Amino acid sequence: MTDVDSGSQAIVLVLFTALVTVTLMMCVMAGPDRDDLTNFYTGYRSLTPLKNGLAIAGDYISAATVLSTTGIIALAGYDGYVLAVSTALSLVLLMFLMAEPLRNAGEFTMGDVLARNMPGRAVRIAACVVTLAATLPFLVVQLSGAGSLLTFILDMPHGAGARTACIVIVGCLMIIYAALGGMRGTALLQMIKIVILLGTSVVVAALVLNRFDWSPGELVRAAQQGSGTGPAFLQQGLQLGTSVGDRLDFIGLQITVVLGVACLPHITMRLYSAQDVPAVRRSMSWAVGTVTTFCLLVIVVGTGAAALVGSRSILAADPHGRTSVLMLSQALGGAHASAGATILYSAVAGMVFITLLSSVAGMTLAAASSLAHDLFAHAARRGRAEPRTEMTVAAWTCVAVGTVAITLATLVQNWDVGVLTTLAICIGASAVAPALTYSLFWRGFTRTGLLATLYGGASCALVLMVFSEAVSGTPSAVFPNADFHWFPMQSTGLVSIPFGYLAGWLGSRLDHRRHAADSRASRRLYDESEARLLAAAE
Amino acid sequence: MTYPDDRRYPQPDWPQPSTEPYGRTPGYGSYGRGPGQEPSRSGYDDSPHDRYGQAARHEPYAHQPYAHETHRHGADLAALRSAYRVLRRVSTLTALGSFVVYVVLSCYATELMGARITGELSLGMALGILQLVVTFAAVFSYGRSARRSVDPLARVVRERAAGRTAGVAR
Repeated sequence: MTDVDSGSQAIVLVLFTALVTVTLMMCVMAGPDRDDLTNFYTGYRSLTPLKNGLAIAGDYISAATVLSTTGIIALAGYDGYVLAVSTALSLVLLMFLMAEPLRNAGEFTMGDVLARNMPGRAVRIAACVVTLAATLPFLVVQLSGAGSLLTFILDMPHGAGARTACIVIVGCLMIIYAALGGMRGTALLQMIKIVILLGTSVVVAALVLNRFDWSPGELVRAAQQGSGTGPAFLQQGLQLGTSVGDRLDFIGLQITVVLGVACLPHITMRLYSAQDVPAVRRSMSWAVGTVTTFCLLVIVVGTGAAALVGSRSILAADPHGRTSVLMLSQALGGAHASAGATILYSAVAGMVFITLLSSVAGMTLAAASSLAHDLFAHAARRGRAEPRTEMTVAAWTCVAVGTVAITLATLVQNWDVGVLTTLAICIGASAVAPALTYSLFWRGFTRTGLLATLYGGASCALVLMVFSEAVSGTPSAVFPNADFHWFPMQSTGLVSIPFGYLAGWLGSRLDHRRHAADSRASRRLYDESEARLLAAAE
Repeated sequence: MTYPDDRRYPQPDWPQPSTEPYGRTPGYGSYGRGPGQEPSRSGYDDSPHDRYGQAARHEPYAHQPYAHETHRHGADLAALRSAYRVLRRVSTLTALGSFVVYVVLSCYATELMGARITGELSLGMALGILQLVVTFAAVFSYGRSARRSVDPLARVVRERAAGRTAGVAR
């Protein structure tokens, strides 16, 4: 980033400050009253379907999705296209399979859904642990990425001090958004983000196509040349390899993405703030439409990055290609110091910045809500906490979660921690998805089954991930110099998703045998609440 | 991927439903309830599968004022449940199935997917983009069939439940 003059940096800085000021003001103004729990967790369910849908899409398209997907498309071509399709499909699957019963069953958090037929502290604690296990890695990877991205954008020296400062600033902002804004405040932030994101992507994609005279064929041909891989750019295999095991790994990764991403707690949490079932359906339609549009745009943008920037420059800046959007906007700007180039670069930088801020704020809020609602109000106080106390606790847990995330992100900032994204998605697919599908659709599901699914699925994903190729043993791993891997894949879903489902089924069978009374009780509770689950009847 | 509501694994400890109430439509009129009558939940706390499709089991409760109502409620709920199940299975399996086929073909039929259709556009790319475009239509048609098949049944269940609650309140 040597060719960005100080003028455009000043504009970028002014833009960042303006974005932060405006969103902070709106967030605080929309924030909840001091002692109103429903308002904090769901915003009174007062958002229209369009707004709620945009907020869901905003939460769904995290900074990791925007930057990594563009990077993978730019570097690996076809594999990135498949990833874009699976990203869009994950939300579609959430809509078709779970959105409506989830809205009826849930109140504030995932713990509410899971504990409705199986009261007890163990369930609440497990729900909270899995929520944290799924959101914290995501949070850490994005915060530590924020450090290097912001130093890149502002062209600061790549020292550890500058990156740490960026991480702390973004982290503090995220805590403020989550603690003061609550669900409604962060919803506004997500809406602003998705509008900016879509607008900028449309412009960038149009400029890319315009550069190639609106001919997709020319674009693809240039991308094949720019990537330096030729026809392989349009075939599966550049990302993970083409051997039998690598292809299996690729299939596993895509299935994990499809099942896992949309189940993550910060996304399902948005569903509870829909007014009723038709509203949640319309919200999801808007969200799916927005996300699909974005995925189509990201394909054009990523291919454009391969064509106009070239894989050599992208790889030199970041091995995962996360800076490819920014480099593309510079390449599109053409002549330095021209007004158009500066405006385009600032807009894309602002888009990256607000995307980073809003995704970390949404995840902090989800983790903090689970801590306050599941762990404090239901597990520690057994559901007898004052709403006012719970609100205060929720605000402070935002601070706590944020502080922990900032600390971890600072500690790992020199490592290549992109694997944490995969870990979060794997936990989503192998613990959260089985627990939710069983809990919503299987009346024979019992407490032991639920605990086995949550703990078993999550720990299976975690253990396999630690001993996978992505952590050690390969040049691109987190610890390239150590080798303690025995699981020959980059993602764990192919093993850990069946394991999660099997654990839930075996646990429930065990309960039928050993604790017949308990298992009958949870079956009766399921039947009694079925009218509410399916029809929202009280 | 297994679906929990497939009930692939027979569980001998539990009474199984003898008939699946597929395709049943809510054609029942609402039954009035006299004031002051206490709600009876008998026949409701038992195993759920015996509530519908086996009329004989309900005869012992016929003299109780709410048994009939409970039976109707159960039948409505069963109709709603099966409507939801059909909708869910068809839509989920279509979406997931087409994607899995696409990914497997991408991996193991590289020549087929690499075949050029027009210019530089390969079959694999075209299918990928087609899936994204079809998503809009799929979401639209899901919404339409949900409005047709599920929503009327859900309304009936909701109204009946509201009626029961009102009856209790009286």
